[in-house]
Amino acid sequence: MSDTIHIHPGQVGHEVAHDDHHHGHHEQSFVTKYIFSQDHKTIGKQFLVTGIIWAIVGGLFSVLFRLQLGFPGQTFPILETVFGKWAEGGVIKAEFYYALITMHGTVLVFFVLTAGLSGTFANLLIPLQVGARDMASPFLNMLSYWFFFLASIVMISSLFLHTGPAAGGWTVYPPLSALGQASIGSRLGMDFWIVSMALFVVSALLGGLNYIATILNMRTKGMSMTRLPLTIWALFFTAVLGVLSFPVLFSGLILLLFDRNLGTSFYLSDIVVNGEILNNEGGSAILFQHLFWFLGHPEVYIILLPAMGMVSEILSVNSRKPIFGYMAMLGSLFAIAILAFLVWAHHMFVTGLNPFLGSIFVLLTLLIAVPSAIKVFNWLTTLWRGNIRLTPATLFAIGFVSLFISGGLTGIFLGNSTIDIHLHDTMFVVAHFHIVMGVASMFGMFAGIYHWFPKMFGRYLNSTLGYIHFWVTIVGAYLIFWPMHYEGLAGMPRRYLDKSSWASFSQFGDLDKMITIVSIIVFAVQLMFVFNFFYSIFKGRKVTSTNPWGANTLEWTTPINPGHGNWEGEIPEVHRWAYDYGKDGREFIPQTEPVGANESKH
Amino acid sequence: MEHQQNVLLSEMTFQHHTEDAEFKRRVRKTTILLSVITVIELGIGLTIYTIHKGAHPNAYLVLAFKGMVCILTLAKAYYIVSVFMHLGDEIRNMIMTIVVPLMLFIWFIAAFIIDGNSYKNLRNEFDPHFKESTMPKKHGEEHTPAPEPGKQ
Amino acid sequence: MATTATTHQTKWWSGGKSPFNVEYGKLMMWYFLMSDAFTFGAFLISYGSIRFSQNFWPDPNVVFNAFPGLGHKPLPLAFVSIMTFILIISSVTMVLAVHAGHNGNRKAVMKWIAWTIVGGLAFLSCQAWEWHHLITGEHAVLADGKIEIIGQTMTGNPWGQLADHNAMLTALNNSSNDVLATLVHESPLKPEFHDMTHKQLLGIPKDQLLGMINTAEMHVRSKGPIAFGGYFFGITGFHGFHVFSGVIINLVMLIMTYKGVFDRKGHYLMIEKAGLYWHFVDLVWVFVFLCFYLI
Repeated sequence: MSDTIHIHPGQVGHEVAHDDHHHGHHEQSFVTKYIFSQDHKTIGKQFLVTGIIWAIVGGLFSVLFRLQLGFPGQTFPILETVFGKWAEGGVIKAEFYYALITMHGTVLVFFVLTAGLSGTFANLLIPLQVGARDMASPFLNMLSYWFFFLASIVMISSLFLHTGPAAGGWTVYPPLSALGQASIGSRLGMDFWIVSMALFVVSALLGGLNYIATILNMRTKGMSMTRLPLTIWALFFTAVLGVLSFPVLFSGLILLLFDRNLGTSFYLSDIVVNGEILNNEGGSAILFQHLFWFLGHPEVYIILLPAMGMVSEILSVNSRKPIFGYMAMLGSLFAIAILAFLVWAHHMFVTGLNPFLGSIFVLLTLLIAVPSAIKVFNWLTTLWRGNIRLTPATLFAIGFVSLFISGGLTGIFLGNSTIDIHLHDTMFVVAHFHIVMGVASMFGMFAGIYHWFPKMFGRYLNSTLGYIHFWVTIVGAYLIFWPMHYEGLAGMPRRYLDKSSWASFSQFGDLDKMITIVSIIVFAVQLMFVFNFFYSIFKGRKVTSTNPWGANTLEWTTPINPGHGNWEGEIPEVHRWAYDYGKDGREFIPQTEPVGANESKH
Repeated sequence: MEHQQNVLLSEMTFQHHTEDAEFKRRVRKTTILLSVITVIELGIGLTIYTIHKGAHPNAYLVLAFKGMVCILTLAKAYYIVSVFMHLGDEIRNMIMTIVVPLMLFIWFIAAFIIDGNSYKNLRNEFDPHFKESTMPKKHGEEHTPAPEPGKQ
Repeated sequence: MATTATTHQTKWWSGGKSPFNVEYGKLMMWYFLMSDAFTFGAFLISYGSIRFSQNFWPDPNVVFNAFPGLGHKPLPLAFVSIMTFILIISSVTMVLAVHAGHNGNRKAVMKWIAWTIVGGLAFLSCQAWEWHHLITGEHAVLADGKIEIIGQTMTGNPWGQLADHNAMLTALNNSSNDVLATLVHESPLKPEFHDMTHKQLLGIPKDQLLGMINTAEMHVRSKGPIAFGGYFFGITGFHGFHVFSGVIINLVMLIMTYKGVFDRKGHYLMIEKAGLYWHFVDLVWVFVFLCFYLI
């Protein structure tokens, strides 16, 4: 051992001794600085901007199909002008409607709330908060974004196909998705969908491996695992979930691709389409659902956990109090991550799943209520008697907690297989998952953007627009999704084009109109946020101090506009956890400050 | 050991090193072990083949042999990962971070297989054509023990 | 060893070092392999799920019993055991390459990597032969009251249950001359029929053709589960693709070693990571071997 040389990080290198110490100082061309950048902060911004563009597209889709649901049969001539044959006579065609809901789901779940959310904040925050110059492998990190970009290109192209994009629902269940003759949405658009998702899985994998390796290996001196901010813990579990579950989707999609193009029978058996008897035999359509939801369920936590982590951080910083129950928060994140892998079949209670197996899935599903409740109580107790600063970020974080409670409670209904028989595939499910996972995670994302915008761009977002954004969005979210519970309880199915032929649902006609109008208003307010975002990048109020929020975490010890490499001198050493707020009469004590001799214990 | 590398990466605390002779002995031992296990597996495979050829194959005997092959395969996997991939030489933390997530496979396998089996039972009960056309009629060829219809 | 003492004193999780005493690249490789294990796991578990949902599944000893150059002689498991040994041996040469890298011995690294590449190519050749043999094989199956000749493909499976002898005799009467001519070749009543060409046989009327087949010794199966072929070709194909990319990676490593890239870097860690990948391919084969050939 005597002939080995020890080199400590704190200098740049994670490679070998002779690594370059000053990444930030050499001149870079426009291309290497902004396009094929290997700087984690730039890559994070790339994910964010791409995510915002996708969110506008996906949101617009929802407005379009809400028009159909709120005003079935009514003509909107402008639709024909824009979409041509898809909306002949100004009425949305059934195929168009199915394509819209499919793409809305795919885009929002994968491209916005997975890539746009964890891609952005994992890239931005992990190296900054653990105290690293960059990701473990900046090159693979760059590839991660560009694979996502490629996936986006393929998905966007599918929108312009003659037969339209995939239209079998975002879960692409076979046999519908496997048979082109069954629906035009299952033709070339479906192949594009599969290819795009395969590229997406590669991107998620490259990103996830990097996040995990960085968090484990690249922490600065003194940054033990229990001193990590909860954001990092949440992003860590998110990455673990992605690395272990996306490959299963990948396998499932490859088998689907074979069934579509090579005539195999993995998912197909005993099928007659348009009078034609197919040769396929022996496959099981339920198998695809198992494979899909083995990813699909962890996926909802991939979406939700980053939001949870950021909300924990933002609530603690802005109520000027330590996070309540750090270890309990950590334990519940861990429990959620494990349970996420064990409960997938609760999406399949009515498929003919073995009822005994189903009962085990019910049990495991309801167990999730425990860590979720722990988290909710800890957020509330963090706020309790705090010195709360109601910045837009704080409001969105509180909004997240509110939505997570309201949406989580209906999860208890749906997690019971007996009640689920009544509620499955109704608007109740739509209401549940939009509130608990969709809107809640969007709120987490907004909270993160408002909070870390100063770190990203050295300027603030406009707060007035931020307050308007928050209040309209939270009120709108409840107005849109709350009534859907009633519709669902009454048995109104989801995904249906036109429910006006049911007399029993006619009472909901005005309600659906109201939902549609509110969703248009909410969408308009999101556009206002997008304006605020891009305007503030260039014209926002400038940040003047390195630590505008008075926060403890390491990202606020870097310069206002950090270069590649983040810290100009040595990487700071960490001496305490991230949540010493309001301690010993001091408002906050940064993690870099050594523990004083007379300091009280936390 | 004059060629031993003397650069230690920044993240690492110490360098592993193994004596050449000790290393060679271990690789040889593992190679022989893997080969022997494979030969035993082949032997069991051929035994199953002979049982199937017989007039009255004993389904439980076949099942027991298959269970043995599965265990032997896990043993092979253990040696490949532990010796060839050097996981056995890593510190405990590293071993745990690889082994523990693999536990997820237990529920993954169990749930998929149970539901596959349940799907078969459902069809045997409610799809007479399926049952008639696929249920093995006589002994001598296949190995799937006939399921009791309607059993969950 | 001095290292054991260090292990106990080190605060692994305190930051500033790897908690696993492993550099990040190797850690990422391990986690990538774990992820890939879930890809293969999903394939194999789907296969298990489908297999458990069937009343009947073909016996691997009947399906995989051919050996190159030995014609129709049934030799169950013989060929695949050779493939298995090839992979095990190539894993051993890879271990030796990695070890040579530890010692900074460039020549030895090149030698062992070259042997590993040879092993990989040998395995791929074996697989190509096996696939070719299965796809082009001619097997008589009884379907819809007549005999058909099919190979083992993604869409057809000739390994169903043995058909009833009388049903087979009836089916022979309904079958095409083309099929009957093939059957004469496969099981001729007299050895000299075997030497006739397919074209010659097609010139003979149907009732005579029927008389030329040795029906007493002929066994015909019904069609087996179609998913069998899909899974077999899908999974061994995906594994073969991994072997192929492993060969490419090893080729790149060979060239880089030859050019002295690792000597300049001062370490052969890349070889170690390539080695991990190669062993993983071997590991997956162990399970593919189990699932398709043994049980």
